[in-house]
Amino acid sequence: MSQATSATPPIVSLRGVHKYYGTYHALRGVDLDIGSGEFFSLLGPSGCGKTTLLRTIAGFEDISQGTLLLSGQDMRGVPANKRPTNMVFQSYAIFPHLTVAENVAFGLRRRRDLDKRAKGALVDEALEMAGLDGFGPRAAHALSGGQRQRVALARALILKPKVLLLDEPLSALDKKLREQMQNELRRLQRHVGITFILVTHDQEEALIMSDRIAVMFEGEIAQLADPQTLYRRPLSRRVANFIGTMNFLPARVNGDMLDIAGLGRATVKPDQAPGGMPSGDGHIGIRPETMSILFEGDATPAQTANGKVVELAYYGDMTYYDVLLDDTETPVTVSMKNLVGRRVLERGDRARISWDERSLVVFS
Amino acid sequence: MAMTRFASSEASRGLLMVAPPALYALLLLAVPLAAIFAFSFWTQDFLTIDFTPTLKNYREAFSEPLYGELILRSVLIAGSVTLATVVLAFPIAYFVSFHVAPNRKSLWIFLITIPFWTSYLIRVFLWKVILGYNGVLNTTLQGLGLTEEPLTFILYNANAVVITLAHAFAPFAILPIFVALEKIDRSLIEAAQDLGENRVMTFIRVTLPLAVPGIVAATLIVFIPTIGDYVTPRLVGGPNGLMIANMIQTQFLKLNNAPMGATLAVIAMTVVTVIALLFIWLNRKWLRARS
Repeated sequence: MSQATSATPPIVSLRGVHKYYGTYHALRGVDLDIGSGEFFSLLGPSGCGKTTLLRTIAGFEDISQGTLLLSGQDMRGVPANKRPTNMVFQSYAIFPHLTVAENVAFGLRRRRDLDKRAKGALVDEALEMAGLDGFGPRAAHALSGGQRQRVALARALILKPKVLLLDEPLSALDKKLREQMQNELRRLQRHVGITFILVTHDQEEALIMSDRIAVMFEGEIAQLADPQTLYRRPLSRRVANFIGTMNFLPARVNGDMLDIAGLGRATVKPDQAPGGMPSGDGHIGIRPETMSILFEGDATPAQTANGKVVELAYYGDMTYYDVLLDDTETPVTVSMKNLVGRRVLERGDRARISWDERSLVVFS
Repeated sequence: MAMTRFASSEASRGLLMVAPPALYALLLLAVPLAAIFAFSFWTQDFLTIDFTPTLKNYREAFSEPLYGELILRSVLIAGSVTLATVVLAFPIAYFVSFHVAPNRKSLWIFLITIPFWTSYLIRVFLWKVILGYNGVLNTTLQGLGLTEEPLTFILYNANAVVITLAHAFAPFAILPIFVALEKIDRSLIEAAQDLGENRVMTFIRVTLPLAVPGIVAATLIVFIPTIGDYVTPRLVGGPNGLMIANMIQTQFLKLNNAPMGATLAVIAMTVVTVIALLFIWLNRKWLRARS
């Protein structure tokens, strides 16, 4: 189920990597293998060490302890300019004194094997790939955010790196453009087949784009998995909370039998406790979309619970209800699609909820 | 109607706002400049001024080789001072910008301005003490056995003027270059390295071109005042280190020939303007050629 290792031989390999800034412990023993051609994301809140890890791979930070291999070669003491990686910076770092074409061609100076025409052809090819046809002669300082990002991409990809590092490349763009660039980046990655390592704090972005995701907290990898596993089988409540929304309810655990506050009895399979099955007091996690509110005429499923709507948020396509289940203290969130003919409940209404024990995740 | 009244009151308020500085600029800049310009077309006989306009002064200025020589020397000295100042200022500005911890930068800038706390005149005298025949430098060199006789080429000539002025104007060159370097986004330096360039090539391809505005500002800020300096050449220049400003002073105060002094001032100003414009033009052309 969980893919802790990549299918292809690793192109990036970290073993026991620590990084200190003075007394601050930024990376606390990171072990990681990233495969060739993978779209890999480092996801976590700000200050979790994800950018430090990326800069370590790029060669802008040296590691205090541990080893870093890039395609099998130890990178200790190898400066950024000698590494087979290229980076798309958060600020894009477009050279303001150069044109778009000169920016893209920047890294080609050292390619003595290419004459001016061959370089020009490569630049045109890279500009086309990044969707910047005809932008070559433009001054770099006159570009929009999206265009700057494309220049940064073309400038990095023209060098055909083994690994492309992207440091929150979409965070400066507005929502529409960001969604468009997410698709484009994914398509581009499949097209060029280069390993992409993306740093992001946006869990949705990571889920949409990545083959695998490493969730980081406080300098450590909390979970490393593909998007579906990460969403369905989070290892801890903290990971579960960071990836989407999850409701937590206290539960008494006895083997595979649970007695959940507000929901009642349930039986779970061992893989529903990815972090290990607790015994005695524990918690269950349940996603808002795996529960639903029963309306008149709906068939009555096996597992139901009763409660009261204490708050609701109407999103147009969806309504999010906060329902306080009977005999519990904190409400759970239930999301409902606003289908044709389905009414929207009001605050204070009684609600009957259906749920399914197969969607539960058990935590300690 | 209402619009025009509004506009005119807006305009009059604006005029009122700029009036004090405009008056100030008029009285202290435009009027003296106009006076100098007018004087250059008049003549003076002892204490009486003949207001008949004439080009006699200009004819004399261009036919007398001493004036040309002084202007040329002034340009050369100011050029050397500018070159020395900017070349020495760049590493200092670079060091403070790139290698000093951010919370210490203002302290460093503060320390760099400390020479300004003493009067310019005193600083010039200090250089006399350092560079003199029995000065600090010579006694030290002889004490160490590095020289047998005192060096004489370091005081009362053009070299002394260059050394003294380069020291006096150092902060003027360091500050604009520092500001230009501070404005460089550090991720640009990392990007250049990421794209395969070593430190030296990163400096040449990214840092230096982006520091050009600061270098241009430093050059003009140093060159323009030094070309007209007259205290330093007077005190440490000796007979061969005198510059055009010394001649202007002599014309006005010793030879009682204000019109000739004014003429030389106009010529000197024209030369500075032409050189500054030429420099800016070359710089623009170079920048455009690059992009």
